Amino acid sequence: MKAKKARSESPTIKELKFVVTRIKKSPLSIAGIAIIVFFAAVALLCPILAPVPEGQEDPYRLTHFGWTSEPQPPSPEHLFGTAQWQYDIFYGCIWGTRTAFRIGIIVVAGNLIIGLIVGTLAGYYTGVIEELLMRLTDIIWAFPGLLLAMAFVTVMGPSLDSIMLALILVGWPSYARVIRSEILRVKQEDYVEAAKAIGCSDLRVITRHILINSIYPIIIMASLDTGAIVLAAAALSFLGLGPPTGYADWGQMISLSRGFIYKNAQNPLGYWFTWTYPGIFIFTFVLGWNLLGDAFRDILDPTLRRR
Amino acid sequence: MEKTIESRELLDVKDLYVNFYTYAGVVEAIDGVNLLLKQGETLGLVGETGCGKSVTSLSIIVLVPPPGVIEKGDILLNMEDKAINLLKQKDRALMKIRGEEISMVFQDPRGALNPVYTVTQQVGEALVLHRKEELCRRVLQELERDISEANTFKRFIYKCEKKIYDKMMNTRERSASLSALSKIPFVNRYQGRLRNEIRKEVVRLLKTMRIADPERVLDMYPHELSGGMAQRVVIAMALSCDPRLLLADEPTTNLDVTIQAQILLLIKELKDEMGSTILYVTHDLGVVAEICDRVAVMYAGNVVEIADTFTIFKKPSHPYTQDLLEAIPRPGKEFKSIRGEVPGLINPPKGCRYHPRCSRVMPICAQLKPQVVEIAKGHYVMCHLYER
Amino acid sequence: MGMRAYIIRRLLLLIPTIIGVTLLIFAVVQVLSPEQRAALYITSEKDAGAMEEIIAKYHLRDPVYVQYFVWITQVLQGNLGFNQKSPRGPVLANILKRAPATIELTIIAAPVIILSGIFLGVASAVHRDRLVDHVTRVISIIGWSFPSFWLGILLLAVFYAGLGWVGPGRLSVDTDVFVRSADFTRYTGLNTIDGLLNGQLWVTGDALKHLILPVVSLTVQSIALIVRVMRSSMLEALTKGYIVSARAKGLGQREVINKHARRNALIPVVTLAGMLSAGLLTGVVITETIFYIPGLGSYAANMALPPSDIAGVLGFTLFAGVLFVIVNLIVDVAYAYIDPRIRLG
Repeated sequence: MKAKKARSESPTIKELKFVVTRIKKSPLSIAGIAIIVFFAAVALLCPILAPVPEGQEDPYRLTHFGWTSEPQPPSPEHLFGTAQWQYDIFYGCIWGTRTAFRIGIIVVAGNLIIGLIVGTLAGYYTGVIEELLMRLTDIIWAFPGLLLAMAFVTVMGPSLDSIMLALILVGWPSYARVIRSEILRVKQEDYVEAAKAIGCSDLRVITRHILINSIYPIIIMASLDTGAIVLAAAALSFLGLGPPTGYADWGQMISLSRGFIYKNAQNPLGYWFTWTYPGIFIFTFVLGWNLLGDAFRDILDPTLRRR
Repeated sequence: MEKTIESRELLDVKDLYVNFYTYAGVVEAIDGVNLLLKQGETLGLVGETGCGKSVTSLSIIVLVPPPGVIEKGDILLNMEDKAINLLKQKDRALMKIRGEEISMVFQDPRGALNPVYTVTQQVGEALVLHRKEELCRRVLQELERDISEANTFKRFIYKCEKKIYDKMMNTRERSASLSALSKIPFVNRYQGRLRNEIRKEVVRLLKTMRIADPERVLDMYPHELSGGMAQRVVIAMALSCDPRLLLADEPTTNLDVTIQAQILLLIKELKDEMGSTILYVTHDLGVVAEICDRVAVMYAGNVVEIADTFTIFKKPSHPYTQDLLEAIPRPGKEFKSIRGEVPGLINPPKGCRYHPRCSRVMPICAQLKPQVVEIAKGHYVMCHLYER
Repeated sequence: MGMRAYIIRRLLLLIPTIIGVTLLIFAVVQVLSPEQRAALYITSEKDAGAMEEIIAKYHLRDPVYVQYFVWITQVLQGNLGFNQKSPRGPVLANILKRAPATIELTIIAAPVIILSGIFLGVASAVHRDRLVDHVTRVISIIGWSFPSFWLGILLLAVFYAGLGWVGPGRLSVDTDVFVRSADFTRYTGLNTIDGLLNGQLWVTGDALKHLILPVVSLTVQSIALIVRVMRSSMLEALTKGYIVSARAKGLGQREVINKHARRNALIPVVTLAGMLSAGLLTGVVITETIFYIPGLGSYAANMALPPSDIAGVLGFTLFAGVLFVIVNLIVDVAYAYIDPRIRLG
């Protein structure tokens, strides 16, 4: 009897298909993806949705449409109204989306890179290197993150770049720890020994075997973290440690609204538009990432899969 | 219809059906099981993993975990003056029966013990639940002695303690005032007397378990005990309230072979000393030969054969029992295994569940589930081969 | 090894950890120029004018290790620098002055967060996949996604601007005047307790009323993590063998949950207490700012606001860091108390 030659799919494709099916079944993860896709679309369509005023070089600068300090309610020219000193809230929210993506991507990338390097070195090589790196990791990790970030930003001088740098400096230890523990776990597996026995160089062993298998917890962590990072950046911005006033940043816009919670006795919530719209943007953006991260955690957790 | 039970019989399981409702489908785990235990006998429940023996023993104390549901059946327990149907009891009544009339010993001794409580605390838990009256009585006796010897001040304290213990002894249910009292920091030192009684009793139990230095073990935590020691503690816990029936669910499976032998010996000695009735669940035929008076063989949710131990080994009648005994490797004998696999129970085989693997299968086996037939005194088989 | 040995061992570990913290802060400070760093050593108004003397006195141009020792000796003597921003004065004195407000807030918030987190976590585990569970998870995710500052503003908008129930600050205006007057003695600095000690219960009531919104704000931020960990830890505990064993002894389901499952399930949650305190420390910065509570958090926020007062920010960070390390020590000891495997293993 002739043996049938089975054309099996590459395991990676099978994995991907499995993940996609699981995602399709979970309403929360669909919601999360939908939210993020929506915001990505907004970010891409910024120039169309909120055209940059004539002659302005930097699209992130909020222009003063007038000089009164009192916020004006929504109108056809200013869809969400204007904030203190007549910044257009709609413009700020739309371009703030790009800012948020920038912050999220850059900080997570920075965290991943540093975390990967430190974690891999500390996990793969034992001895003095490992000890030193782990001590450093532990000290930073032991600190309440936002406070340390505050200290960093203050020392570096407040600006958007300072915030991003500070969050990277504060965030990498968590990644380093996760990567390191994954490497320690995978290092003991037989296939790693086998690879070494064949004569694979250290680098090859690390990249091809160890990292591929350690990837899931990192994906989960990165997606959950993005939301937290954007929140932290917004908080720092809110406290005044971000870009100078008049920048398209959600946190800053909310800080501008702080003085306008109460209008007067007849219309106490008269300035609602100053704090409602930017808040909704931040909340929904972070919610999307959290839903996605949660869904990833449920789907990619190896112990819960394939029930 | 009156469900009755003979006076020499202790437990009668009639037509037990248990299903598990899982995401993958309905697992028909127990498919009409009948068992009869006489007073003082040890019945072995033998079968492969997944045949339903654990579920059967859990059903007896009505602790089948969800998504399992006991669909129907009767489990009659003989309680001196009357027989009660365990499956028709309310939760409250069951709580009284568990630990006091029927107790269970589990497979993983350290798993059965809570890691954050000491040995005394855990064995004592059972004592407090079921033998509180007796313990309180002892405390009161001690108090009487103390009162007579003490001076006025201490006498007052002791009289207060006496009142508390009187109340404790006489209340069956939770008393709000007592629980409140037990939480007040300084006042609740009265509990010290009860704790002492418990400790004394636990030491006595541990000695019965042939533990050499019981006082030392009292305050140990489960992770400090060896496997054999832990299992002795679990057995002590189970026997602490002198139950009528002991359910032993593979108590030696997780232990080293030498420890296994020790625990088996212990169980045998206890059996002889106390005349206990034991339902011994195991997959190890060697253990069965050692300790069981009668054996029930289970396959895929059915009891396929019941007989006394000698008969089962010498004259196995059900094809499964025969195949099982054949499969025991012996030096010099050709290695034989049962062909096929244990069936999944979501869509079990129609008719007799063993028919796909049976070497003596007949056409009727695939269509009709066989009846139980008594082919000799006390020897029952569920197989079409023996039907008239 | 018993509890005592474990505690001693942890206490000894405390020293290198704190040194690590100081090293970190020190490293951050070195980024600045000597003139800026001088702010950390000034103790009074007078010194503020004498820049060069300060630099020389504290070796601010000398090699790094010299500077570190100089700085540490100063810190140990209580000299954390001088605030040039209002309120002007020594940093340590300012910190201690603002501490009571934060202590009051956190002492009330922490139990609320922990107890409600445990309760919700246990409830969702015991009633898995039913309404309680779903509602709790939704609340958790929403809470986790909410910007803390926005929540505060919303709460104020609804309850202050909208309904007019209570305003920002620690006390309402009249109460505040009374508390500052001679008729009221400050014992602890915590309005709730001082109200009791003075026999003026309405002060306590007013203080508590003003604490409701800030505590809610802090709770929503911090509760998600506790609920999630408690839930999964409880779910795991419920699968363990000793649960069935306990029921086989005759315990009822509720008793088993309370006595056996919960105690084991709490163990991983205790480790969270460390994270919780980190969350509270960061949370108060925002919450105090929004609700105008004059505590450590708003102090830090004020100092950080450009133009930043370096001494204030770094003094606060050092203070917070050391505090945090100590809290973690307490958590570790509590952990060992609850789980005997740790100290005996």
